[in-house]
Amino acid sequence: MMIDIDPALQGAMETFFEESRDLLQEMEQILLGVETHGLEAEQLNALFRAAHTIKGSAGLFGLDPLVRFTHRLENLLDRIRAGQQAFAAEQMVPLLLACADHLGAYLAMLQGAEPFQPDFLAEDVRLLEALEAVQQPQPEGSRLPAPVSNRPASPVVQPADTPAPADQPQASQPASWHISLRFGVDTFRDGMDPLSFLQYLRQMGEILGLVTLTDQLPKFAELDPESCYLGFEIAFASTASKAELAAVFDFVKDSCTLHILPSHDRLPEYLRMIESLPEADHKLGEILVAVGSLTPEELQQALGQQREEEDRSGQHHPLGEILVASQMVQEPLVQGALAKQQQQRAQRQMLRIHAEELDQLVDLVGELVIASAGNRLRAQEEERELRVEAAVQVARLVEEIRDRALHLRMIEVNEIYQRFPRVVRDTAKQLGKDIRLEIRGEQTELDKSMAEKIVDPLMHLVRNAMDHGIEPAATRQATGKDPQGRILLQARHDASGILIEVQDDGAGLQRDKILRKAIEKGLVQEDQKLSDAEVFALIFAPGFSTAEKISDISGRGVGMDVVKQNIESIRGSIDIESQPGQGTTIRIRLPLTLSIIDGFVVRIGKGLFVIPSDAVEECLEYPQVEAAGYLQLRGQPLPLLDLAAMFQVEQDAGSRRNVIVVGQGSERIGVLVGAILGNQQTVIKPLGRLFESLPGISAATILGNGELAPILDIAHLLQHHTRPSRTAQPTSSS
Amino acid sequence: MAKTILIVDDSASLRQVVRIALEGAGYEVLEAGDGVQGLAQLQAAPRVHLIISDVNMPNMDGITFLKNIKQLPNYKFTPVIMLTTESGDEMKQEGRAAGAKAWVVKPFQPQQLLAAVAKLVLP
Repeated sequence: MMIDIDPALQGAMETFFEESRDLLQEMEQILLGVETHGLEAEQLNALFRAAHTIKGSAGLFGLDPLVRFTHRLENLLDRIRAGQQAFAAEQMVPLLLACADHLGAYLAMLQGAEPFQPDFLAEDVRLLEALEAVQQPQPEGSRLPAPVSNRPASPVVQPADTPAPADQPQASQPASWHISLRFGVDTFRDGMDPLSFLQYLRQMGEILGLVTLTDQLPKFAELDPESCYLGFEIAFASTASKAELAAVFDFVKDSCTLHILPSHDRLPEYLRMIESLPEADHKLGEILVAVGSLTPEELQQALGQQREEEDRSGQHHPLGEILVASQMVQEPLVQGALAKQQQQRAQRQMLRIHAEELDQLVDLVGELVIASAGNRLRAQEEERELRVEAAVQVARLVEEIRDRALHLRMIEVNEIYQRFPRVVRDTAKQLGKDIRLEIRGEQTELDKSMAEKIVDPLMHLVRNAMDHGIEPAATRQATGKDPQGRILLQARHDASGILIEVQDDGAGLQRDKILRKAIEKGLVQEDQKLSDAEVFALIFAPGFSTAEKISDISGRGVGMDVVKQNIESIRGSIDIESQPGQGTTIRIRLPLTLSIIDGFVVRIGKGLFVIPSDAVEECLEYPQVEAAGYLQLRGQPLPLLDLAAMFQVEQDAGSRRNVIVVGQGSERIGVLVGAILGNQQTVIKPLGRLFESLPGISAATILGNGELAPILDIAHLLQHHTRPSRTAQPTSSS
Repeated sequence: MAKTILIVDDSASLRQVVRIALEGAGYEVLEAGDGVQGLAQLQAAPRVHLIISDVNMPNMDGITFLKNIKQLPNYKFTPVIMLTTESGDEMKQEGRAAGAKAWVVKPFQPQQLLAAVAKLVLP
């Protein structure tokens, strides 16, 4: 392999080869010892450090493929070290040994300046995939970064930090900024020197004027020489962006107060930029970030502040107000951006169409997604690069069309919230309670068909909170609460979908009462130890009701289990949080859309099946020795379900089998499948009426290669196959 | 007089590359392979203006090393840059509590480290 290496670094490179080889040898020794001595924490640390060290140095030399490989390895070892992943020796040791050998081969080729051989590259791909495959699925966001480009992934110090040398011709005219800086009192104690930041700043432009602020300085007798009392107001001319200037103060940003504003004479320039933004539905913050008068970090901070204030005092401050008050942006710019937003809104034209036509369109787009996946697969099989490239481009466009099409079906949650003020008023009157309703996040969007299905459960939850949650005014007054009760309905988007909350400030759930009732009803054993969350979840059990007197408002204990079922039927989940005396919050999590899911494709017998990815917790190799029906997983019994037996398909004799742990809420079960074929986005096709009641199957999908695959109904599997475990081993399941 | 920087990392090659980069920028460089050696270097050297330390090291890890530095009267105000991985959020919290404010994520390019160093001490 040819690499450009600075001759000065040649010596360091030699050191790198030698050191890496020592580390690989150490790795190998530890791994070979696992069989006899097991793996101790310090040895695991040593394995991690070896991968970590090789990665760090490889990055310095710009050896990106090596960085990518060691990154995966490091990641896996880190997860094992943190206890997030089990170390299954019979699986991990051969894999890790193969990785060490591969790294050795890599180093040898680099050192000999040999080109990579095809079988070496094939091994590289195979091992990367194997490393990926043993990784148990983890929540979005903590996924591995995309393959490293020529820059390392997410460096703290962005390349833009490096100031342009002063003698280089500048692309644009320097602009003037006003920087207002107050250092934190602990600056010196943190090892930071205010002067060094100012000197660094000078490399990025010209300090036109500087005023040192000494107003914080105490009387000499009270002065602590270890504390910093300094502030600076700086007029600065630079071609750098606001974000680049803010990055100068990265290391002190937590402790200092920093405002970077364009000087006043430049405001018209920013207003013109706002004016000339393309027409699109932008939010206020997005507009200001787009023209560079606000940094993304500042926007995050301001949004966080907005949310925090809302949670604390229940008051909603407009973002613009917060931005001006915290001196992130000047007021004229906020006004300008708001005007732009108004203009964009006004220009939006509405068109009425039939919901049915829309559904047909979305359905067709679903077909298109499948066809595009098939097209891409075939192109890859043909191994013609240009074809693959074209197919990938089409697939990207199709995905965009899919997102837009799904968006068309979205409505604002406001449309269902509208019915609630009336219901709350009427119910409050009926109950003789004084209750006010607050609604937040009414602009959150969700799928129309989902919105329709959520109305009844929400209505039930609100009534329930009013009836059982909120105490009569006299009781509230006696405990020092506002005599007027409060119900809060709020909705927002989070990482994986939509979050809807029903919150009351009532008495909270009574743990003991629920537990007693559950024991009475035989739902739990008397000696069973349950967490608060597990106890609260009992109110969703069929036929459960703690209200001593049955009222007309919230039914006869047939409610909460139906609520739960309804939510789960649209692939949502529900959970409760409650503080005695302070109230109860019920959270409903819904998927973004009903028609497309991320699926985990597995083989059972000869057929392919899809497991919804959000239910998959981890994958294990099936240890043949286990007693039928159970698996010991980290000391806990896990009910095991043989899907081949359940669906009566013939299991290929001798083929390797895997266990996929699926779960929802606190219930988990292992399902026994054949090969695991990986993740794929799948469009849900409802089953015809004939198959509707098929147990364990919720719908079907068509895979990229045209094959039909049923989608497993996880809620059903959990409901029908986890129960016996509780009674069989009641003490160890908690 | 040139400013002195101590680089503490268990990888000799990383130290070597960092040394070349820093010396090229006009700094003087001292090296140590772990926290224990780092502390010894600090005791022996007349003055160190900046410390760069890895987090994951044998014998004494970076966080313990940092806590020890803060105990040394001559070095409690010396700036420290910690080198960490993307996955080290937990470490980072622990490090912050111990007083580490400047972080550079591994793998990095020499010029990225130089930019971070220049914010804290000029040569």
